[in-house]
Amino acid sequence: MTTEQQPEYIQYKYPRTQKYTHALGYQTMAVEGFKQGKILANMCPKCGRAMVPARVVCPVCYVDATKWVDQGQRGKLIAAFKIGYPMYDRRTGVSQIWEKPVVSIELQGGARLDGWCSEMDFDKLKPGLLLEAVWRPPEERIGAFDDILHWKPVEK
Amino acid sequence: MAERIAITGVGQTRHKSKRPDVNTPELVTEAVEAALKDAQLTMKDIDFMVQGSFEMADGQYLPDMWIVPEFGGVGKPGFKLQNAGTTGGVAAAAAFHCAASGLFKNVLCVTWQKMDEGQGAFGRGGGGLGEYWQSQIPMSPITNFARRTYAYLHNSGCTEEHFAITRVKQDQCALKNPYAQLRLNTTVEKVMESAVLVWPIRFLHMCPSTAGAAAIIVSPEKQAKKVTEKPVWVEDWFCTHVGGAYTMAEEPTLSTLRYGCETVYKRRGITNVLKDIQAFEIYEPCSPAELRWMEEVGICEDWTAWKLMEQGKVGIDKEIPFNPSGGVTATNPIGATPVLRIIEAALQIRGDAGEHQVPHNVNRALATGYGGQGENVIFLLRKSL
Repeated sequence: MTTEQQPEYIQYKYPRTQKYTHALGYQTMAVEGFKQGKILANMCPKCGRAMVPARVVCPVCYVDATKWVDQGQRGKLIAAFKIGYPMYDRRTGVSQIWEKPVVSIELQGGARLDGWCSEMDFDKLKPGLLLEAVWRPPEERIGAFDDILHWKPVEK
Repeated sequence: MAERIAITGVGQTRHKSKRPDVNTPELVTEAVEAALKDAQLTMKDIDFMVQGSFEMADGQYLPDMWIVPEFGGVGKPGFKLQNAGTTGGVAAAAAFHCAASGLFKNVLCVTWQKMDEGQGAFGRGGGGLGEYWQSQIPMSPITNFARRTYAYLHNSGCTEEHFAITRVKQDQCALKNPYAQLRLNTTVEKVMESAVLVWPIRFLHMCPSTAGAAAIIVSPEKQAKKVTEKPVWVEDWFCTHVGGAYTMAEEPTLSTLRYGCETVYKRRGITNVLKDIQAFEIYEPCSPAELRWMEEVGICEDWTAWKLMEQGKVGIDKEIPFNPSGGVTATNPIGATPVLRIIEAALQIRGDAGEHQVPHNVNRALATGYGGQGENVIFLLRKSL
């Protein structure tokens, strides 16, 4: 490089579609549960930890977790956040605005999972708020978290 | 029987958001040459190498094939590791294991990340806990810490202002560190007004993307004493795995920071953390995390660190010298960041940290690496054994 040249980057774009194939193993039951509008967890017989999605063994007790429990349709909010900038969708690689807040929920059966929330007033999303699942129509479900369209606060 | 080991040389680049003047091998070589110069060694003296970078962030595998020849490492035994944010932590731990084996005289550990080139948001890939599930809800270090910070607000009773006070403290430290990337001279007001990324995480709370590299040289006792008059002894290190956490909602099985610290404290007879450890360089990816990490390393009770920050007790020349370098919120070349913590802790022990030197005598320092949903690597360094 001569002294007159300014350092610079060369920029490339790599437009490519990547196909991923996942073997679900023990999680197959949980996938089928979502398709049927149920949140199924398997539970540790020793400590009672409920896992969504399922795992063969409890990560704490290292024993087989073979008991399946329907976690119900309601849960308590344990945390919430609102994405304030265009963040990429990991499935597409495309950045987008995410309108709905994300909530972390402890279900009636004890398992925890994340989802979208229909309540747009963030100040109302306090710990302990009771939320209920709103599902996609059965024909649109694929066996995933977002078979649940969102979680809505339960009217008192 | 394991050998006692010491760090004999440290080197880092001047960290910046962009380094268009160098490619990755040239950047890494800067750190290697700085470490060799510090130890007054040459590549001929190095007989084992451990390298580390977070390959997913660079979007390139086997980068060592390109990099190692640049700094003269062809033909030398060694390997490369990657483990997300803890890459530098596991690379250093591996280098310490190799040196402690007594098989090698001078082990070079070199780590890097050139985040001005790759996709710092981890490309398309996910967090290694089941891509099918994890890709369905947007997850990133920012959303992860937003959830944790929401919990901290509700559990501790602190306010957003305390996170801003913490950020200003971090910045005041970074202003005294010539190697730090972000030296903003910011204020509580500016932090509070900075854009919300994922509430309650604001732009100025979060660590930057950095182009940088860091290297250390470690040797068994006999060799270390030959190389330098100021060896920094590696007293202990601990690296463990965490379970659970398929989703952000699911808590990890344990806090590896708390568990790791408790483990090494017990092994080394540390009962009073603030008395027994004189400097802390802890991998805090954002300002609110620093408060929780102060609690988890045992400086104070759970949910109380914000009070210490509010009282002005944390800083280079304060009661609690926590991240005197400015920490990760000032500088974050991910793969190299844990090694930077080790370097800064070593400089504090040597008394070579310059303007950000802790004024009292630092006999022992704690450094950590962090990554993912909470994997930590713990390092205890000492002036004398």
